[in-house]
Amino acid sequence: MPIWKHAAECLSLDERRQEQLEKVQSTLNRVFRNVPFYRNLLEGVPLDPSEVRRLEDLQKLPFTLRSHFSDNYPYGLFAVPLRDVVRIHTARGTASYPTVSGYTKKDLGAWKEMVARGLTAAGVTSADIIQIELDAGLANWGRDYKDGAEAIEAGVIPLTILSPEKQLMVLRDYRTSVLVISASAALQFAQWIFRANLNPNAVALRTLILVGEIPGQDLRRQLEEQLHVTTWLNYGLSEVPGPVIAFECEEHHGLHINEDHFYPEVIDPLTEKVLPMGQVGELVLTTLTTRAFPLIRLRTGDRARLMKGSCPCGRTLRKMEWLPPLSQEMIMIRGVKVHHQQIALLLERVLGFLPDQCRFLKSTEDLNDILDIWLHVEDRLFFDEIKGMEQLRNHVASELSQELGVPVRIRFKEHISFL
Amino acid sequence: MLRLRNVKCFYGRIQAISGVSLSVRQGEIIALIGANGAGKSTLLQTVSGLLSGWEGEIEFEKVSLAGLKPPEIVQRGISLVPEGRMLFPPMSVLDNLKLGAYIRYRRKEREQVEKDLEEIQDLFPVLRERFRQAAGTLSGGEQQMLAIGRALMARPRLLLLDEPAMGLAPFMVQLIMETLQKLKEDGMTILLVEQNARAALQIADRGYVLENGRIVLDGPAHELLADEEVKRAYLGKDYREFTDGRM
Repeated sequence: MPIWKHAAECLSLDERRQEQLEKVQSTLNRVFRNVPFYRNLLEGVPLDPSEVRRLEDLQKLPFTLRSHFSDNYPYGLFAVPLRDVVRIHTARGTASYPTVSGYTKKDLGAWKEMVARGLTAAGVTSADIIQIELDAGLANWGRDYKDGAEAIEAGVIPLTILSPEKQLMVLRDYRTSVLVISASAALQFAQWIFRANLNPNAVALRTLILVGEIPGQDLRRQLEEQLHVTTWLNYGLSEVPGPVIAFECEEHHGLHINEDHFYPEVIDPLTEKVLPMGQVGELVLTTLTTRAFPLIRLRTGDRARLMKGSCPCGRTLRKMEWLPPLSQEMIMIRGVKVHHQQIALLLERVLGFLPDQCRFLKSTEDLNDILDIWLHVEDRLFFDEIKGMEQLRNHVASELSQELGVPVRIRFKEHISFL
Repeated sequence: MLRLRNVKCFYGRIQAISGVSLSVRQGEIIALIGANGAGKSTLLQTVSGLLSGWEGEIEFEKVSLAGLKPPEIVQRGISLVPEGRMLFPPMSVLDNLKLGAYIRYRRKEREQVEKDLEEIQDLFPVLRERFRQAAGTLSGGEQQMLAIGRALMARPRLLLLDEPAMGLAPFMVQLIMETLQKLKEDGMTILLVEQNARAALQIADRGYVLENGRIVLDGPAHELLADEEVKRAYLGKDYREFTDGRM
């Protein structure tokens, strides 16, 4: 399988470490100079950026947390003047303010390159037609995949919200060969194909780029068998900074991290100490080339394990195994991460209060993954008329669905249901 | 080929360089740009052994340069073209060039030195015409060529140049830059310090931006040329624009 940028992806390990050290140091010098938040955060620890002499010294620095995005809303974490920012992206945060990230022209170029790497590693070429089918919550990735697909000169059908029938029509008639989609949405897609009596062999589809969530081996095998395709996994972060932080190569054994753009660490989420190579923990990322929105030791909340050894594909980019979340605090709906805290915050805003008992679940409705929210029918939620209850339910569901970018169903439940 | 890690340089108590890491790979032209006083020349002088007050790691071809004197560093394969050329004005062009090869005469490479003298004259034909002339009578551009030629006479594998375009007319700057490109095509590795950031980045593979003794940016030269911050600070845009519009 070809490699998009051989020099960068296959650099010797020795040179990679030197390059990472140089980029970590220049990133620290930039953020220390330009971002008051980081200057204050770093001043909290007795460390000057020049004291980071080895990559391992990064451990001495504090973490960037998701709450910091909201605290510094909107532009507090930008490291370049606003005039250099060419794209501003808003993502739902986990606190009261959304996460606002910016990109310079160069940053967009870096993302284009990373997506191009991931697509090339999956065997996608200029002969392919790529259809991007992501939920509204992953719309930013849609733009990045479009840019990356154009960089490798493939034909791209950008993210457009269409009915299932129209999506299928596009897939069949436009001869889509590559689908960028979350695993659960892909499963739903497969069901539509069968419902529509479409023979998988009659469509041109041969590659699925699975994004946003980690499918089990069973689900991957099922998709590959049902749709007669090969599946490739891409890892990214939906809030910041983008979609192809790591990608699978033809070995399908771990995901290559774009180590020339990110420095990865795996920590024990409880002790916050860096774990030895090969142990499972929380992935922490430091950006190495980002100009507008650099991040120092961002706690991703994702579970991963860094893998030892070289890869037969020839890339020297370190690989990671991406593992399903253990967290009870977060639900993954069609690749979109929804945090419990975030749902509670939205409920409070829409209702004016947070019901005394709530439950958040992932359910399926008409083959579609949805966010199921149970609310205890306490006095404040009780209406004399069914119509009033119905209206409230629809209002809350539509508000939350709009904010979260995933389908939402509200159910009113008696106290006993929560026991 | 050349690797610096966490290099700090001191003039007495004053710290001029605060933990710089950079690398030059075989066959590359690397541009080191920055404002006056950023520490660019200090770094070159440190690498070539002229400044002894430094700490950190400097490796050339995987061997440390710590504790080596300038002649030993020249012997290892690193030559410096210093800022202001530092020629010997009363001496002839030929003698200046021969001085560049002084470590080689001891190694009895006389014949090879003669051949190299020919090559330098091929590279800079104008020097052939002025061979017997005193170096001090040459024009600024010719003196720069002579300074580069003198450095090449030591047969370096890595050439360090400190502000070779300084004070030269634009056509001469272009000529010098074209010469450096020609040297690269012949296999030379070059670390170029230059205030004329545009000229340097146009021929470089990669670049580093030094500010107050720290590297604040690095990357492929074509990206730095297009970078808004580099444009504002080093490619001749108004300083006001740099501070405007900042939230």
